Amino acid sequence: MRDRETRGLVLMLLPYLFGISVLVALPAIVTFALALYEYDLIRSPRFVGLGNFDELVDDEVFRISVRNSLMFILFAVPLRLAGAVALALLLHRRFRGVGAYRTAGVLPTVVPDVAYALLWLWIFNPLYGPLNLALEALGGPTPRWLTDPRAAQWAVIVMSLFTIGEGFLVALATRQSLPHELYELADLEAAKPWYVFGRVTLPLMAPTLLLLLFRDTIFSFQANFVPALIVTEGGPPPYATTYLPLFVYQNAFEYLRYGYAAAATVSMFLITAAIVYIQYRIVRRWRHAFVV
Amino acid sequence: MAALGYAGVRKDYGDVTALRDLELEVGEGELLALVGPSGSGKSTALRLAAGLEDVSAGSISIGGRDVTRLPPAKRNVSMVFESYALFPHLSAAENIGFGLRARGLPRRELSGRVLEAATLTGCERLLERKPHQLSGGERQRVALARALARRPDVFLLDEPLSNLDAQLRVDTRAELKRLHQRLGATMVYVTHDQVEALTLGDRVAVLHEGTLQQLDAPDAVYRRPVNRFVARFIGSPSMNLLATEAEGELLHAGPFDIPRPRGLRARRLEAGIRPEHVELAGDGAGTPARVEVVERAGSETLVYLVADGVELVARASPDVRLTVGATMHVGVAARNVYLFDAETGETLASLE
Ligand SMILES: Nc1ncnc2c1ncn2[C@@H]1O[C@H](COP(=O)(O)OP(=O)(O)OP(=O)(O)O)[C@@H](O)[C@H]1O
Ligand SMILES: [Mg+2]
Repeated sequence: MRDRETRGLVLMLLPYLFGISVLVALPAIVTFALALYEYDLIRSPRFVGLGNFDELVDDEVFRISVRNSLMFILFAVPLRLAGAVALALLLHRRFRGVGAYRTAGVLPTVVPDVAYALLWLWIFNPLYGPLNLALEALGGPTPRWLTDPRAAQWAVIVMSLFTIGEGFLVALATRQSLPHELYELADLEAAKPWYVFGRVTLPLMAPTLLLLLFRDTIFSFQANFVPALIVTEGGPPPYATTYLPLFVYQNAFEYLRYGYAAAATVSMFLITAAIVYIQYRIVRRWRHAFVV
Repeated sequence: MAALGYAGVRKDYGDVTALRDLELEVGEGELLALVGPSGSGKSTALRLAAGLEDVSAGSISIGGRDVTRLPPAKRNVSMVFESYALFPHLSAAENIGFGLRARGLPRRELSGRVLEAATLTGCERLLERKPHQLSGGERQRVALARALARRPDVFLLDEPLSNLDAQLRVDTRAELKRLHQRLGATMVYVTHDQVEALTLGDRVAVLHEGTLQQLDAPDAVYRRPVNRFVARFIGSPSMNLLATEAEGELLHAGPFDIPRPRGLRARRLEAGIRPEHVELAGDGAGTPARVEVVERAGSETLVYLVADGVELVARASPDVRLTVGATMHVGVAARNVYLFDAETGETLASLE
């Protein structure tokens, strides 16, 4: 009986295990190995030890991409999280048309990346794009979004702020699972909305939000690849929007330096792990305030 | 001046009328027990007073002030929910002080008020704990302390003891009663347990399907129920209900013959007899009845009998020797019989 159950479980896990080993684990191992080689698809791989990493440390473009990626995360992750929570709190109640609003909140996330990027190319157009037309009408500044380095960096962040569908749905589900009476009680006790948010909603949602934070940090390292490739093409020159994924892509597929790209990928992995670890340590310190 | 008043209050949820034409005044310092079966509109009545729901018609006043249109925050009432609604991430002390802090009470005064309320309900040693570290009874104390800390005009308690086990319930009930007497606070206490209502309430309001049936002292609700519903709902086990047939000066009610009151000749009647008023004897004048089931519960014994094809419940002293299948003789004193109009259920006479 037990054996049959175990066999059934293994059988059901098999497709997933197969997928994860062939598509994730194996390439990861190959990448780690490749990072120690020089390889250009034509000549056979040549072992160089940590040579690729030595070169990375001195590579100006790599340093810029790391800095760009970190800056992107610094702004994009908190803003994305705040956006997801704000949207969830706005739309957790039932009211007329709430379904349409929720759908609208998720929609940008399910649009294919490339289509999404092309759309923003139009939105950001400094002359006839709707964003600058609107800004102009309001008397605001009309940055040359894709040619000014600062503006381009912001453009990539702004693009990332609308693909928060998953975070929004998770936050929404979390908010809806909070007991109704707690809010009725807060109502009776004359608690102001901000007080309720800070003392009730946020702490009770915190465990989920922390998970979202970790996940979004990891995700955000990779999220800006398509926009950087299609919308800003890594520019404006020299490298205003060259982020780590784009750096890897260019080295691998434009300069055919597979070993070097693999080393950059490994670095990206290590940086991500380090950031998540630091976040985790900080969070652990504050945990007693949140944990239920 | 009433501490809490309902005037012609009605509440509809779509097609369902949860409460209709409620006229009710709770006096200053009174503990009113609001009792009724599940779905009778008790919680609805409380939530309307608290402002958590809007009335469909009528008005609500607190301390003589019309609060019908005021939001919950402006009504100065405290509520204890059936689920307690304690904040899981806050300690007992923070829970108790939640409302005070929300209203901006300075921290210096806060801890004093929290401790005072906690001491009143006997949870002062639990202040550092989180709700998940508390037992059901302890949570209940914390929830009550939170309501007390605010010193509201009216306390609204929605079945606060229903999650406790039987013994703790009885103890906590007694404590609550003492607390009420000491504070002289106005309380509305909702329960579906008629024993709780009778023991706690200064007055008892009986609700049924959204309509107030009777509002009276506990003793009066028990002894002079206004209708069949109240008569059957109050008292456990329920009053025996028997169809009657008139014959001359007599009324046949199952195995019992009772004198037929004058003036009620035109109507079809039902007779009600409380289990404790069914007299049992080993032999003698009464009608023979077969003992079907005997339930011994310590201080009393319940006997289920069949007499003349009618089922009866009787309450007997534990000393009476009874065996299933034996024949007993049942009788009733005429003064212990209630008569109800068979159509409307209205009490026509208690022959008391
Ligand atoms: N939000 C609501 N929407 C629709 N109907 C409701 C709502 N709240 C209560 N009702 C209905 O109103 C009636 C009274 O409900 P209420 O909660 O006041 O009963 P109650 O006496 O408190 O019952 P219980 O002892 O089970 O708590 C019920 O028929 C219930 O189904
Ligand atoms: Mg209820």
